[in-house]
Amino acid sequence: MRAPSEWTRAHIISPFINGAQGFVVFLVIVVVQGQQGLRTLLEQEHMLYVILGVVGVILLASVVFVVTFFQWRVNLYRVTDSAVEQRRGLLFKQQRQARLDRLQAVDVVQPFLARIFGFAELSVEVAGGEKSGVQLKFLRLAHAEQLRNHIIHLASGTAEKPLAIDADDVGVDPVAELSPLSQSDKARAIAAQASPAREVYKVPVPRLLLSTVLTWRFILAILIPVVFVVALLVAGNATLEVVREVGIADDIAGAFTAIATAALAALGVTYSYLSRGFNFTAQVAADGIRLRHGMLDTRRQTVPPGRVQAIRLRQHLLWRRGDWWRVSINVAGYQDNQTAVSTLLPVGTRQEALEAVWLVLPDLGDPDPEGTFSAALSGKGEENDFTATPVRSAWFDPLQWRYRGTRATDRALLIRRGWLTREVFVVPHERTQSLGIRQGPLQRLLSLADVHVHSTNGPVRPVAQHMDVEDARELLEAQAERATLSRAVQTPDQWARIVGVPQGTL
Amino acid sequence: MTWFQPEGVELQYVSRRLIVVRLVALALLLLPALVGTSLLAALVAGDTSILWLLPIGVLLLGGFLSYVIVRQVTAHAWAEREDDLVVVRGRLWRRVTVIPYGRMQYVEVQSGPLGRFLGIASVQLHTASPGTDASIAGVPTAEAARLRDRLTERGQARLAGL
Repeated sequence: MRAPSEWTRAHIISPFINGAQGFVVFLVIVVVQGQQGLRTLLEQEHMLYVILGVVGVILLASVVFVVTFFQWRVNLYRVTDSAVEQRRGLLFKQQRQARLDRLQAVDVVQPFLARIFGFAELSVEVAGGEKSGVQLKFLRLAHAEQLRNHIIHLASGTAEKPLAIDADDVGVDPVAELSPLSQSDKARAIAAQASPAREVYKVPVPRLLLSTVLTWRFILAILIPVVFVVALLVAGNATLEVVREVGIADDIAGAFTAIATAALAALGVTYSYLSRGFNFTAQVAADGIRLRHGMLDTRRQTVPPGRVQAIRLRQHLLWRRGDWWRVSINVAGYQDNQTAVSTLLPVGTRQEALEAVWLVLPDLGDPDPEGTFSAALSGKGEENDFTATPVRSAWFDPLQWRYRGTRATDRALLIRRGWLTREVFVVPHERTQSLGIRQGPLQRLLSLADVHVHSTNGPVRPVAQHMDVEDARELLEAQAERATLSRAVQTPDQWARIVGVPQGTL
Repeated sequence: MTWFQPEGVELQYVSRRLIVVRLVALALLLLPALVGTSLLAALVAGDTSILWLLPIGVLLLGGFLSYVIVRQVTAHAWAEREDDLVVVRGRLWRRVTVIPYGRMQYVEVQSGPLGRFLGIASVQLHTASPGTDASIAGVPTAEAARLRDRLTERGQARLAGL
């Protein structure tokens, strides 16, 4: 089954997965919140209570299932030539349309539970406002991937007409199975959809682990409890005696719990970071960049060319030894859960970071892209034609000012900053939304100003602080002009049609 | 006098009537405080009580904020250039925003009851970026409508996706 042009339901397993997810969450809440109650219940050893409990759980499970089942029944989708449409809602009906000419990214997401059974959710992200995307859950993994290819194929503008218009597989639409045309259509569609991909980089798990350990968050999470315990031990029994006598042992216990909780929270963040970067691979194909990552939950992102709005490269102090960089991007369609989707490279060598940038911005528009970029990553002052911030900006940041700098190439604006943690912003000129200068009273005294480059919603917020006010004005004017010029020649929405990707390779 | 003078076009300052709107809003906010503190001073204490410093403080605050409003409004301006719109604002913290017409997603014109009475409206431009702070407050109503149409027209002529 590929792209159904008739209203179709998701796979029949969906209500089970949805219901089970809700049920697991509920159970966890009951167990965590009602621990005390459960314990007393069990201690009483009354069979009656246990039976009541089991019956309650079963009743609840069936209610959840019935609700999710009916939700699934009314949850319909179809793919037309110009949009992915979705209808859903039991009481409040909802109809959504994701226009393909506004398509920004298509992701195949596998939550853990769905992954166990080989199912996936297809998430279509389009530009324009909150909740404009469409999520189809759940489909068989292979089907989700085919549908993804098909949608991207339609959006690229190479498809003169829909390749496949039948629906089968789940038995929802048996007519398609009988159609004499469906077999040849299917073969043609699959051939056309097999877009060859080339792997660009892969993040080895040991490096990911090491890089995670080498961040402040992790070090603090480990260090603080260790220091606390060591301090207690070193202080020795004598102190403990005193403590006990004075009666502040409870306070220490309380402090310890607080520290342990904080450390656990920090470890949780670390885990989610680790999980997102696990088995990270980046591939490039004619239909865009493909990213795959995830430990228990996995996500396969497809971002068509020209959809990345801004790039940020960041290096923690402790990553400097291995010259590791993390690359984050802004993609317009993604609304929520930004952190999960906006990583282009969780941790990579300088060479890989450069490759990641070239993936998004194949042409930097500079005669010496490598040299310019290495000046952006680890240079300072005015090397390689960077515009540095003046000495007087040291009043604002005595340690960082030497590292601040901006440079515009023919295609993009580079902004460099950071002393301990180094950061570089890259904004393609044609992706600039708007520009701003800001100046506070103290900056005014020193004739300094900040230049902001406004990008779409995302983790990357490019800003060049404390520039000479003349430089700032010049940058603003020049940048506005460059943005206008670049937009005239930018990658269009239907990229393949204009770029001239040969038919059949998509 | 402005610190940022775009080349080739005159800055258009917003209507002074915006000062009235903002002053009325300020008065609505401060009057209850003034009345309350005066009553407190008059009822609880005598004529020479230290409590009279409270209403005086409110008055002084009102005076200062009025001064700030006047200064801010007289620094708020915009300019339509060939390819983009420039919005200038702020005295102490100064901001310039440049919005290329092709990046505009939509234009919003708004006016409150008092603004309508005085014949002014605010025009806000939206791009795909949440960082764009491009609102022009206090544009005469007729000019606001013209501005909206012109911006939309220019936006369409230069529209370039995201």
